[in-house]
Amino acid sequence: MTRTVTLEQLARLCRTGSESLRAPDVEISGSPALDAALPGGGWLVGSMVEMMPNTMGIGELQLLMPTLARISQGERYVAFISPPLIPFPPALSQQGLRLSHLLVIRAEKPADVLWACEQTLRCKSFGAVVSWPTTIKDREVRRLQLAAEAGRSIGFLYRPIDAALEASPAATRLRLLSTQDGSLRVEILKCRGGRAGVTVDCTRLRDSVGLSDTSSTATHSAVLAACS
Amino acid sequence: MLWLCISLPLLPLEALRTDIGDAATVVTATERSARWVICCNPAAERAYLKPAMNYTVALAVCPQVIPIDRKPQAEQAALERLAAWAYQFSSSVILNEISADLRQARSAALWLEIGASLKLFGGLRNLLEDLEQQLISMQYSYRLGIGPTLEGAALLARAGIRIATTTPHALYLRIRSLPISKLTLDPDTTLQLHTAGVRTVGLLLELPRDAVAKRFGPKTANLLYRLMGEAADPRSAYRLPDRYAAQFDFGFDISSTETLLFPLSRMLREFAGYLRARDTAVQRFKLVFSHRQQPPTELLIGMSLAERNAERFLTLVRERLERTELPAPTCMLELSATEFSSPTALQPDLLKSELEHTEDLTHTIDRIAARLGEDQVHGLQAVADHRPEASWSTAQFNSKQSAAVFPDRPLWLLPEPKPLQMTATPRIVSGPERIESGWWDSGEVQRDYFVVNAGDGSQWWVFQDLRDRNWYLHGFWS
Repeated sequence: MTRTVTLEQLARLCRTGSESLRAPDVEISGSPALDAALPGGGWLVGSMVEMMPNTMGIGELQLLMPTLARISQGERYVAFISPPLIPFPPALSQQGLRLSHLLVIRAEKPADVLWACEQTLRCKSFGAVVSWPTTIKDREVRRLQLAAEAGRSIGFLYRPIDAALEASPAATRLRLLSTQDGSLRVEILKCRGGRAGVTVDCTRLRDSVGLSDTSSTATHSAVLAACS
Repeated sequence: MLWLCISLPLLPLEALRTDIGDAATVVTATERSARWVICCNPAAERAYLKPAMNYTVALAVCPQVIPIDRKPQAEQAALERLAAWAYQFSSSVILNEISADLRQARSAALWLEIGASLKLFGGLRNLLEDLEQQLISMQYSYRLGIGPTLEGAALLARAGIRIATTTPHALYLRIRSLPISKLTLDPDTTLQLHTAGVRTVGLLLELPRDAVAKRFGPKTANLLYRLMGEAADPRSAYRLPDRYAAQFDFGFDISSTETLLFPLSRMLREFAGYLRARDTAVQRFKLVFSHRQQPPTELLIGMSLAERNAERFLTLVRERLERTELPAPTCMLELSATEFSSPTALQPDLLKSELEHTEDLTHTIDRIAARLGEDQVHGLQAVADHRPEASWSTAQFNSKQSAAVFPDRPLWLLPEPKPLQMTATPRIVSGPERIESGWWDSGEVQRDYFVVNAGDGSQWWVFQDLRDRNWYLHGFWS
């Protein structure tokens, strides 16, 4: 009995570098499969999470919506920093996000984006900060990581998929891909205190809602070209 | 009555500089075609320069001395700013006029009646501690004197006697051994008294007053009466203005933002003192930076909560300044505020933690808005309209939200619909959803919306315009 306890403690020490038996604070992601794969059973509070989707519109923001909705329903606030398009309020409120607890910050210069991220992460009133920086260096991610620890909030950072090849001090790094059947595949590249290399398939919420009538689905694969 | 006198011996210098510096600096003024030193900084004093020295002599003693021309208006402005600040400690503040007379240049002072304030501030010691701490943070050199009469307090301050005296007799005991040069008599009278063997204030006070009046003029006797509280000393009290307008004319150009922060810090502290004196706060104040050649730059500093904390003001101003390019070096600063409101969240509350929470939040948002611009930081709201582009708007952060119910909508909306070229039939996930609306304003739409799967696994929100049959991309189903 004592031996198993000791072993468990040793394993935790190896993983997290701390001996405490207390489980880390987490915000559950709302997707059972992902929660199971993440250490502690959700997003680690006080850390940075890097998300690297291969393209826009595969459900990369959808993945966060349950967490953001829950945070905004509580006392704390959610900040969006330099979103690439308009976060559409009707959809946000549909997903349960309390719009009065959402702050949008538009910064153009990379330095301003970073600064705004740091300020909001440090502020204890923000539970989650979602940002879309154009460029960010690993040294800067470390600064944000420290800010998130100080403010006990979660920083979600959207980066291009190429960034997956570089190293980063973020606590959690996820590569987001879409599968053939339209669900979202999450590859855990790194996670502090857990096992990396796990792949999780999350079903997209709008498919499970079942608003669509699949009978009209055409067999052709879509070839769409956007012309500016 | 108990008067506290704040004497400001270096005001001619400090009205123009916030940093009195390590280099020997003197303030000079010209009288009868000669240039005189009227005020020296400590470095100049170490170089054996003295007030009332001829500037030519001063140059001979210390060739590298930096001269600054005296500006009585700047001194008057500084004294008035200080009077507004001092009002927080007392309801009657008196300031002496800045005199053009060179010999009186170092006698700038203001008086506060503190007898009535002692209880409020928890005793003399606490009051002085608070007052001195603020004076130091504003970087003024000062001397304090506390006495039962205006002249008595001023004499104690000039002599550097910090022991409070409450009765004329106690005052007499403190001042009797002081040399008569400490009194503000004109130099001829001082010389006359010296030759008559009257060297100390005590000796002068022991002489019969009518004899003093006869021999040394009624002015001298009157001063003694007022010193000992035997005659009334009517002065006009300073009245707190309804609107705040202060200016700081440094008389030289400041080009670096960092250097500008020193005078700004002093001005904002004085402003905060004024706000405390009126027991009010501001949400908005204006800063004007004057330049020599260019039109002045105006900065409007706004806050989401009414505030009166100088540090907070300074943080916001610093953020704004870092973002603002001043077209030319600044030679004068003005600060003004016209609208005041009662301070928010200043009382410690039962729900203290929640209070700190909101304070923390608003301060963070203010800081970000100050740096990025107020319209770059906002909330969002849904608007009850069928047209997607009209169904949302930016809103003031934390504003009340109307409850509008919408059908399924994508998380990302494009600012403008993007024309699409359809090369094959897309894989439709759902649709069509027809939206025909807006005939009453110019933005009429007739569209069929579809959710489609793009080849790369992303879901797009596209529509066909029913009027011209063209396809557009309008959002991403993230």
